[in-house]
Amino acid sequence: MKIKVVESVMKANDAVAAANRQRLEAAGLLAVNILSAPGSGKTTLLEKVILRLSPKLRSAVLVGDLQTTRDADRLGHLGIQVVQINTGAGCHLTATQVAQGLECLDLAGVDVLFIENVGNMVCPAAVDLGEHVRVAMLSLPEGDDKVAKYPTLFQPADIILLNKIDLAEVLDFDPARVRQDLARINTRAPLLEVSTRTGQGLEAFCQWVSERRASVTNG
Amino acid sequence: MHEMTIATSLLEEVLALVRQHKARRVREIEVELGVMRLVVPESLETAFAVLSEGTVAEGARLKLTETPLRAVCNQCQKEYSARVDDFRCPACGQADVRITGGNDIIIKAVALDVAESGSCG
Repeated sequence: MKIKVVESVMKANDAVAAANRQRLEAAGLLAVNILSAPGSGKTTLLEKVILRLSPKLRSAVLVGDLQTTRDADRLGHLGIQVVQINTGAGCHLTATQVAQGLECLDLAGVDVLFIENVGNMVCPAAVDLGEHVRVAMLSLPEGDDKVAKYPTLFQPADIILLNKIDLAEVLDFDPARVRQDLARINTRAPLLEVSTRTGQGLEAFCQWVSERRASVTNG
Repeated sequence: MHEMTIATSLLEEVLALVRQHKARRVREIEVELGVMRLVVPESLETAFAVLSEGTVAEGARLKLTETPLRAVCNQCQKEYSARVDDFRCPACGQADVRITGGNDIIIKAVALDVAESGSCG
């Protein structure tokens, strides 16, 4: 017999993601999912941004990596709650892993939850974790052709960070090429040129996070 | 290799249908893959073959088709077929979209062998 069904294979993940989102909203949190290639500067960005947001906005972090607690150790020095999720062979975080991570956090007194996804430009893009906003980051050493090469990472992003902008001259990186590609892929998200080393653009990113947090908590 | 995660969910849902219909064996599973979910068909087949070993779904054929992208422009509300490398609205030129098709993975049909034969086609 042949049974006709119309059943989403993603529904198990998406249901958990929706529950995560609701739970975080109820606790007054903005959840920010950060996606990029390995080495583009996600952890350093968080180190800088969390300090700048404090004490007005208090942060916590869920950080995904295949192995080690190195990122959690670094972020733990900020005196915030950090949960390291080791995915083993998993190339992305899942909504269930985030739900389990939330169990380890005291959400009272936290305003922003940063989710540092596994460094990967393909798989994390296809998985909803229950975040409110998505940050896609590209760093200059990766090359100015990456928006065109990985459109599914950049299309759903709510903001795009171009990190290590202080290296533009050394690398002959052309930000205009990124803007041209984004004109085809995503004109909704603002593009911010940032440098975690010099601090360029970090205030603007913090401002964006504050505004988004206000829009979530005000309904 | 997020295909392993997808194959795990796929197998769980198929085995739920097997229990519901008291089936003995799964012959074929028709699945529509949304292009935005970035599934490599061969990887999904391999992952499913490994995971389904020793279950009634072992050896089931996966019939995979790709669902194209559909998008609604947030600026002018036009609905159109987008391309994964070009989301621009044909009416206003903006790439500010809500994806309405090609963003899911859907089981369309499952062919099962059930205990009582002849009850249906």
